[in-house]
Amino acid sequence: MADGRTTWSAGAHRYAEGAGGPPEDAAERARVDRFGAAVQAYGRGLPSLGDELDGRVMAAVRARPRPLPATWWRRLAEPRPVSIRPALAAAAAVTLILASSALTALLTRAPAGSAPAAATPPDGTTGSILVRFEVRATGAQRVALAGSFNDWSDSSIVFARGSAPDQWTVTVALTPGRYQYLFVVDGNAWIPDPLAHAQVEDEFGQMNSLLVVGPRGVVRS
Amino acid sequence: MSVLRWAVLLATAVAVAPSLLAQERDVRAELAARGAPPEFVNVVAERIAAARAARMPAGPLLDKALEGWAKHVPAQRVALALEQLRARLETGRGVVVAAGMLEPTDAVVAGAAEALARGLTPEEVRELVSRAPGPEAAGAGLMVAASLHAQGLEHAASVRAVVEAYGTDLDPARLYELPSVVAGLAGQGMRMSDLARRIMQGGGLPLPPMAGGVGQSNARPGAVPIGPGANQGVGKEKRRQ
Repeated sequence: MADGRTTWSAGAHRYAEGAGGPPEDAAERARVDRFGAAVQAYGRGLPSLGDELDGRVMAAVRARPRPLPATWWRRLAEPRPVSIRPALAAAAAVTLILASSALTALLTRAPAGSAPAAATPPDGTTGSILVRFEVRATGAQRVALAGSFNDWSDSSIVFARGSAPDQWTVTVALTPGRYQYLFVVDGNAWIPDPLAHAQVEDEFGQMNSLLVVGPRGVVRS
Repeated sequence: MSVLRWAVLLATAVAVAPSLLAQERDVRAELAARGAPPEFVNVVAERIAAARAARMPAGPLLDKALEGWAKHVPAQRVALALEQLRARLETGRGVVVAAGMLEPTDAVVAGAAEALARGLTPEEVRELVSRAPGPEAAGAGLMVAASLHAQGLEHAASVRAVVEAYGTDLDPARLYELPSVVAGLAGQGMRMSDLARRIMQGGGLPLPPMAGGVGQSNARPGAVPIGPGANQGVGKEKRRQ
């Protein structure tokens, strides 16, 4: 009682709560009884809430604006407990991964017959290099460039006539990588590029020209 | 689980399935778009499907098939070429795995097959893979070594040049500059045997600095005189803006 407050024993607490008999200490019992009497007197002094309380509370609730209907966004945004089945979650994850991979493959696939700038480089690098090809083709009416950069199409990359007689030129965008190609003269003669880095067997009994394009460009043989 | 959730899951699977099958259809679609008859398409599609099932890269096979069709090569000849290429891819994959790359990328497998096709030994392929700083460098290094050898450089010197380039901590794409360096030196009159000796003695193939960009190739600096002078009038190339 150094601070002026009275400390009740455990028995006095049980007695005050109606869970036990009165404490043996008569003084302590008197304090608990006085406290109980004071509490009952305080309760009697409180105003009665009345039977109409429920009605008034519900009327006030009805008067408040109604919340927005539950939209899909609210259902996603509002916190709520979610239960997940591990097997189903794994299946969903696999599905998402496969969908992502398939979408990526479709988006990165070069369309058939596309310009060489859209060709997928063999090493996956990015950044295109403009490479100019030249050929002298005496008497030719049409010269095309066909190779691994354009799915060997003999119509998607066509040379233009150069300034000199019988000279044909074309510039294509290639990503760093290794390419095989040939010139197609008048649609039927497939001829190698003598200035390519090398000539390699094409496995069909003929030769392809080989060119390796670096990030800085190409120096031919 | 509600019916709605099952429906969403099923719808997703149905939407994804065609995408997963797209690559398989591409073989047929791309050949058919070029007017290839069904017999030719079937021959190619079956072999590419078999290669995919064996975890071989389909790209080189499809490229070879398109090349064959464009050149009017008979279907059976194309089929034979595809079989040979698939065998090389399989061998290449085995060599790469033996070198420690247990899950090689398609580029590495294709590079190994190409290197073997150009005459590099399995031991050299293993060295190019095991000493590469990463899969991207390995794929490029194999292709470049095969190209250097095709240019006339001894295969040992070709491998040595690439391996030394690995050690310079450069962007793997810059490995593709090595054939131009060789072409430039050859254009200045250096014989391949002399170049190979220089490489084997540790001289390497010095790559010019990237500073200045390809667009300024007229002023390429350094000890490696590559540029229009060595280009024999073919023309200069420049970085696309």
